Amino acid sequence: MAGYMVEKNILGNLSKTQVTVLTSLILAVALVLAVVENMLPPPPIPVPGVKFGLSNIAVMYALFFLGWEKSYVIALLKGGFAFITRGAVAGALSLAGGMLSVTVMLLLLVLLREKISYLSISIFGAVSHNIGQFFVIILLYTGMNLLPYLPILLVSGVIAGIVTSTLLRFILPAFKRLV
Amino acid sequence: MKFFKRTDIVIIAVILLVSLASWIIYDHLVKDISVKAEIYYYSELVETVELDRGEERTFSIPQNPKVVFHLDEDGGIAFIASDCPDKVCVNTGRIHRVGEYAACLPNGIIMKIVPKGERNEDDADIIVGY
Repeated sequence: MAGYMVEKNILGNLSKTQVTVLTSLILAVALVLAVVENMLPPPPIPVPGVKFGLSNIAVMYALFFLGWEKSYVIALLKGGFAFITRGAVAGALSLAGGMLSVTVMLLLLVLLREKISYLSISIFGAVSHNIGQFFVIILLYTGMNLLPYLPILLVSGVIAGIVTSTLLRFILPAFKRLV
Repeated sequence: MKFFKRTDIVIIAVILLVSLASWIIYDHLVKDISVKAEIYYYSELVETVELDRGEERTFSIPQNPKVVFHLDEDGGIAFIASDCPDKVCVNTGRIHRVGEYAACLPNGIIMKIVPKGERNEDDADIIVGY
């Protein structure tokens, strides 16, 4: 399962404690990014919950360098953080989006390995994050239809994916110096 | 792994095409359905607004006078003011097609567009928390 990992030597060089510390650091980064994003004015888009998903950068980093278990843990705790700070609905939205997005990115990495680029991974991650959130909205407010919102979810996912992968490109060297 | 590959352009193009296609298909599907707007206050239907009468008015529901709705002549309806912090409901803008909705979760108000003459079997019984 770990065969997909892009830079598996990173984990090899670290002790268990260092990996734990690194994981919690990345979680902290994810939470800070989520808080910062909530302070920004919401984009004028007619669907609640559509955002850049900046904290997805941290989740992606965890997926690439710390392994899939860690990125699920981070997505789970991020959902818990949203639950504590912003309530049950926000928690459920974040959790569903995070879980689906990690699962989709993991599947792509396992199936395609080197054939896929960071850009595509982050686009698919963002799109599936939106769709996961939307399924929760459908569950909560039944009678809602996915189809009229699909274009918005897809296009905003593409934009968010481009933004996060561009940021990851600049942040990655810094992350690499970390270990 | 690379940051960017030429195939990414194809992937982005396909996604954009799919969204355009679903937009057109949906527009076509719901073109002839006559609709009404339902406004829910904490899961209770408090107001039904006919959208195709060509009237224009600004109103609010008795449960919360600070949330203001506007119905326009072309059959669109929108939240235009609310006292909630995030203003998601106002940013949603005008809605007019079946399946579209606008929600002000902090105030527990949800507005959705439904086909006329139908009561949806799976309408929400209760909405808990925010």
